[in-house]
Amino acid sequence: MTDAIELPSVLDLVAAPGLLENFLQRRGHDLILDAGQVQRVGGQCLQVLLAAHAAWAADGHNLLLQNPSEPFIDMLALMGLSPDELTHHVSAKNGETEQ
Amino acid sequence: MEDPLAAIRVTFFQECEEQLSELESGLIAMENGTAESETVNAVFRAVHSMKGGAGIFALDELVRFAHVFETALDKVRSGSLEATPPVVAIFLRAADILADLVRAARDGGAVDQARVADVVKAFDEIEGQKEIPGSHEEEMVADPSEAQDNVWEVTFTPYPALYAKANEAALLLRELNRLGETEIKLDTSLLPELLELDPEGAYLTWLITLKSDCEESDIRELFEFVEDDCRLEIGRSETEGFAPGTVITGDNGFKFEFFPPMEEEIEEETEVKVVEKKKEEAAPKPVEQALVHASAVQAMVTKAETANSVAPTIRVDLDRVDRMIDLVGELVINEAMLSQRVLEAGINRASGVAMALEELEHLTREIQDSVMAIRAQPVRSVFQRMPRLVREVAAMTGKQVRLVTEGEATEVDKTVIERIADPLTHMIRNAIDHGLESTESRIAAGKPAEGTVRLTAVHRSGRIVLEVADDGGGINRSRVRQKAVENGLILPDAQLSDEEIDNLIFLPGFSTAAKVSDISGRGVGMDVVRQSIQALGGRISISSRPGYGSTFTLSLPLTLAVLDGMVVSAHNHTLIIPLGAIMETLKPRAEDVFPLDGDLNMLALRGGYVPVVDVAHCLGYSVQHAEPEQSVALLVEGEGGARAVLLVDAIHGQRQVVIKSLEANYRAVPGIAAATVMGDGRVALIVDVDAVVQNAGAESNAHTAELNNLEISGGAA
Repeated sequence: MTDAIELPSVLDLVAAPGLLENFLQRRGHDLILDAGQVQRVGGQCLQVLLAAHAAWAADGHNLLLQNPSEPFIDMLALMGLSPDELTHHVSAKNGETEQ
Repeated sequence: MEDPLAAIRVTFFQECEEQLSELESGLIAMENGTAESETVNAVFRAVHSMKGGAGIFALDELVRFAHVFETALDKVRSGSLEATPPVVAIFLRAADILADLVRAARDGGAVDQARVADVVKAFDEIEGQKEIPGSHEEEMVADPSEAQDNVWEVTFTPYPALYAKANEAALLLRELNRLGETEIKLDTSLLPELLELDPEGAYLTWLITLKSDCEESDIRELFEFVEDDCRLEIGRSETEGFAPGTVITGDNGFKFEFFPPMEEEIEEETEVKVVEKKKEEAAPKPVEQALVHASAVQAMVTKAETANSVAPTIRVDLDRVDRMIDLVGELVINEAMLSQRVLEAGINRASGVAMALEELEHLTREIQDSVMAIRAQPVRSVFQRMPRLVREVAAMTGKQVRLVTEGEATEVDKTVIERIADPLTHMIRNAIDHGLESTESRIAAGKPAEGTVRLTAVHRSGRIVLEVADDGGGINRSRVRQKAVENGLILPDAQLSDEEIDNLIFLPGFSTAAKVSDISGRGVGMDVVRQSIQALGGRISISSRPGYGSTFTLSLPLTLAVLDGMVVSAHNHTLIIPLGAIMETLKPRAEDVFPLDGDLNMLALRGGYVPVVDVAHCLGYSVQHAEPEQSVALLVEGEGGARAVLLVDAIHGQRQVVIKSLEANYRAVPGIAAATVMGDGRVALIVDVDAVVQNAGAESNAHTAELNNLEISGGAA
């Protein structure tokens, strides 16, 4: 089964604990992250995203990123990442990860 | 995140104001030759921090100018540029522009680009003089665009505290991006498993390769505000330069690790060494490289030390302080009421209750004083604006002026400080424009070419006394008199003492209009100054000696929350009349009272006539007029020096009262300025003397100055 999380617009330190909680609850399932609303990404949410990515990869589940917003991509780039590095797909079954 | 940022922005501008003050006072110390070695550092730091903060908020114009300024200051700091008077003068102008830029950034608006360009050019010229022809490094400074790009390697590891303080790694990286071409790599090796992740922890390290012609200090500066909250390493990617880089680290203070450079490395360094190169030029013999570095280290250490030596302060919302002042006011009133009740209950003064109450009273007063002290600020903040004003006015008038300030540390309520700035500005303008003679006449009079304006503040018997004194020609009494006659302020044959003539300049409608100038002839006369001082419960006076100059003296209350008042009664109502307005009290004699038509009486007072105001009638307590000879008369002075005699039934004494706003708690009442609560719990109204006097003035249609020369039949309607 595939679960989805819509990322909040501001992913700052205040958002980090909630985001972590969200991931922990959905662990063991395929997950789609909708990043369409994201305006700002802070270091600490990035850590959560990265750790989640590692966890999903280790568990062998899909972690997909959907519809990433401009600011989201820009801020990731500023921090030395591309959206691809936050996604993990076990079987290349759809193209959403290509964004 | 919006709100924290906005709050930081507010703090940034507050800090800017402080830095600007620091900058100004430091530069003035340099100008006066009283600068210590630390002064230059302080000045540099001030500009540097403003630049750093401005960078975060992308105030590019401010950053650009601060950078130019800072570069020049750094040269002074390193000894490669001597702070000669002309150089300091440019610095002062630069400080003015910096202040303008800060204010423009804060409040919007534009800054005179021509002035900015002038100063930037002046900086270029300073550099030009110091340039050694043919020196490669120097050329690079003169034209940074030709400078060869360096490749910097920056390792940036935020600590959790960095995020906790609402700083964002991404924003810092973006700033870094602005310096030049960056390549950012993220090191996630320390990231724990999701389950073990602390969402508020910090596990990431960024490795940034920056291609830029900037200097290490430029990079370091971006991280200045977070330097204690992250690990930052800056090095060059090539082996030359500070290969291992410097390390600033530590959560609680400042730690500086320095890798001593190899000798041959120094020779290969380019821009970073420019300052040292210039030092060589200042002292022709070769300077030991190690020594130079030692001094750089020393500078950093000094910086850290001074940063720690500042007395700790906190910023508190003014509202909170005011609320507390308000509550303490209530406490004082309550305490007074309690005392009264105890007294009424017939409890012996020597009893335990009465004694304890007395102690409570002392304590309450002490609390009140301490709370008032929170709002008190040194007048320095106002005084520090004056040097700039003096420079500008001096430049406009072509006069040479020296401003001497004394008593900057004198403390007074914040509101008083805010509200004396304008009157003081005006008085200083006047002192230079009208008070001081032109340079030629000064020399002709055997005075030093440079005029002196002295601004002093002292505490005197519970008030603050400010003086603005010039050593100019003094008040030209015949001209003042003539002007007053021309403007119809006095009758041509009026006999006035010197003091009275001097005081004519405070009258509305008086202006030495023969010489309207850009500076003081702006339609704002001394009457406005007097008015704003009186609105603060203050008084202004002038003394002048022909040929020796004039002195304006302002006397102001230390706080606006309490008032020294005269408790009086009028038709069974208790009223407070501000003590500052009362000039004298007297018992009128029937033969001195002259009725005019209508309800108005005039009182003959030492050869002049003053309108009589029956307070009870004026405030509507009574339709009957009080008999002047049965009443007590208070001679008061209102706005613009208008005088009146207030008739009340009795005087009950003086006391300090806590001012309660009537507008805020009830509504504005004409003739009443505010209210207070008396010891018996009853509200007493504080009389708005200005309004009452004006009322009387309007009725009598008599002009203030004419009063002294009034002919009863003709002078008043």
